[in-house]
Amino acid sequence: MGQSSQASGGPAGGTDFVPKKAGTSWLIAIVLLVVGLLLGTALGYYVVPRPEARPSLIVIGPWAGTEMNAFLPVLAAFSARTGIDVTYRIYRQEALTPLLPTQFAAKQTPGDVIFMVTSFIKAHGGATGDVVDVTDLVKPSDFKVGTTAGTDLLAPVTDGSGKIWGGIYTGKVKPGFWYRQSFFTAHGLSPPTTWAQFQSLLASIKAISGVTAPIVTGDGVGWPISDVTEHFIATYGGASMHRGLTGNRTTQTVTWTSPSVRAVFANRIVPLLQAGDFSEPLTADSVALTRWWNGEFGLYFMGSWIGTWLQGLGLNPAPDLNDLRVFPLPEETGITPGVVFAGDYMFIPKYTTRLDAARQLFSFLISVDGQNAQIAQGGHVATRVGVSNTSYPPGDLAVANSLQGKEVLVDLDDTVGGTFQTTFWSQLKGLWTSPDPAGDLDGILAAIQAAVPP
Amino acid sequence: MGGGGRFADIRRLPSAFVDRLISWVRGHPGVSHKSRVKTGRLLFFVPAVFLAIFFVVYPVLQTVFLGFFSGDPGSSGAYSGLDNYGRVISDPATINAKNLPWPPPLGTLLHNALWIGIHLPISLFAGLWLALILRDVRGASIIKSFIFLGMVTPMIVGGVILRFLLEQGIGIVPSFFGLIGVKSLDVNWIVRRQLTLLGLIFGSVWLWTGFSLIVYSAGLTTIPKDYFEAARVDGTSPSRIFFRIAFPLLKPITLVIVVMTLLYELKIFDVVYVAVGPDGGTLGSADVLALQMYRYGFIAFNSGLAAAVASLLTLMTLFATLLVLRRMVK
Repeated sequence: MGQSSQASGGPAGGTDFVPKKAGTSWLIAIVLLVVGLLLGTALGYYVVPRPEARPSLIVIGPWAGTEMNAFLPVLAAFSARTGIDVTYRIYRQEALTPLLPTQFAAKQTPGDVIFMVTSFIKAHGGATGDVVDVTDLVKPSDFKVGTTAGTDLLAPVTDGSGKIWGGIYTGKVKPGFWYRQSFFTAHGLSPPTTWAQFQSLLASIKAISGVTAPIVTGDGVGWPISDVTEHFIATYGGASMHRGLTGNRTTQTVTWTSPSVRAVFANRIVPLLQAGDFSEPLTADSVALTRWWNGEFGLYFMGSWIGTWLQGLGLNPAPDLNDLRVFPLPEETGITPGVVFAGDYMFIPKYTTRLDAARQLFSFLISVDGQNAQIAQGGHVATRVGVSNTSYPPGDLAVANSLQGKEVLVDLDDTVGGTFQTTFWSQLKGLWTSPDPAGDLDGILAAIQAAVPP
Repeated sequence: MGGGGRFADIRRLPSAFVDRLISWVRGHPGVSHKSRVKTGRLLFFVPAVFLAIFFVVYPVLQTVFLGFFSGDPGSSGAYSGLDNYGRVISDPATINAKNLPWPPPLGTLLHNALWIGIHLPISLFAGLWLALILRDVRGASIIKSFIFLGMVTPMIVGGVILRFLLEQGIGIVPSFFGLIGVKSLDVNWIVRRQLTLLGLIFGSVWLWTGFSLIVYSAGLTTIPKDYFEAARVDGTSPSRIFFRIAFPLLKPITLVIVVMTLLYELKIFDVVYVAVGPDGGTLGSADVLALQMYRYGFIAFNSGLAAAVASLLTLMTLFATLLVLRRMVK
């Protein structure tokens, strides 16, 4: 052997390379050490007595950061009452959509109580048998938000069989455009009551030095754009148009390509886009929120959780939530507007190994006590009849009361299901960033309609 | 060194398992040497074959098989021939001829082709160029380590970093263009359909160049310095030295980098998914085949269409790799 032997410092002259004895001994010692450690650990695991593990439930929900911190006290209240430990895990809907069906197919579940959109719960209820029937736990008449017109949409999750597959927890309202009173006062602005006043307000904000755009478009993933679009539809197409669009191709009573829907886009949204009233869609919502709070934008369309978000930003000085105000789009005569109420729905998967405990937790979360504990944390609105108004923080009570007498609507893209949501977001981002929104509108509406499930 | 010497090395391995295996094979005096060798080979070969069959061959065949059956949710899963393949190819998400030649979305197939057409040569030559200029530089290993950080970074993290790099207001890319007065590029690249794909491709060059740099650096150490010195003495220009000496001698290294980079570009998923989401960005302007497959499989729950895309992807990967290997080996 040539080079390698010499390079290794071994004997030259064509003899076989022989590893140094010391090296081999070290290697054997290390291997023995590792094997010994593994065996010792395994032995210790089985021999040493461990304290009896307390039963623990796993709850899966979408909330992180300050929103999660507002949910954990509710779980703590349940644990204190029942002695059942609960572990909370964060999975957003986008992650659960591919995960749960594969887990269910293997008769497994990642959680015992799971928060998920209604379209998913319905699809996996009676049809596939992956969801526990909770008809005996839920009394639909206990739940009511807003007027009776919208109540059926906010009821616990049912299908044609009359069985109930999921329950509604608390929810959030998407009331309109948020602003800082101090910003409006400093620039002599006031909330609009007509469409003309709204356009005038946008023009006034745009003229303020240091303002990038009147309305900030948050989170480039797409949902804030879909939320503001829904608000335009619910205001200028009315609650009936919003409800008509919410469904599959069989249940839809209005299509996205119909002239009435097109008119809402063409006459209300597109002119604002053309005028540059909406900002560039920003990818990180914390960035959008910070820049809006600092006065770079005048208005932000967001849900009632905006206060919780602001508190989680870590701004210095801490944001004064009493400075927050909100106004909806001005109503038009002859059109009954609606307000989107995004309820948080949950279900118990059939493959839970802790069914009794999961049912206890489910019952607690839909109870008056459970909802009281949640709304006291801020940012949530109760759905349960009998929840005390005194539990609300001051700002939230005003939001909850604003629903009275309004047509309450479900979140459209959360409800339709299938690939509709991702297409809806993607197409709206296309409209928002198009150099010619008017020219692209028909193609975008056709693509949205094509994504409606059969 | 003869073959016996090599076996002698194996015998010295501190593995009781190998020792026992060899002594078992040798411990049967009635068995011929040829037969013992065959048995020994079989003993080593069979576990690997079983693993490959269960974890590679079977899933691949099952995927190809699924591609011939209807996977529409609620369907009976009947045999549908090439229908899934037809639907995938004719889907504007795959090839969007309407927008050709620009702007995106051009379809996942063409987006993957753009990844190959732009990302492959840039990351390959950037790595080679860096390897050459850093060859004789003091402290080069530190610089190489920094460049290699992109490769060490998980692609999921890389996608998140790219997302922030390309964001208007906080990202360095739009801010740079804003600074030099190119206002049309001082926008959010992540949502602008004309820019997202290019942003991700160029951003990914940073993530991948470390790979070609390290492999080329290793390759350069195998070329004797005498070659370069002799050429310099003869008055050969640096460019001629590169094209006539360095590059031809690095051909096997280039082969490895091209194949690995091709595989990366055809299978690209994580960076895109994290940066722009499961919809492939605004109007699908940064969509790629692997993401399309994911959507078919795990959002639309259509196993047939997902399997068809997976089969196409496998075929393309095989074809591209074989083509490169044949051309480079010739």
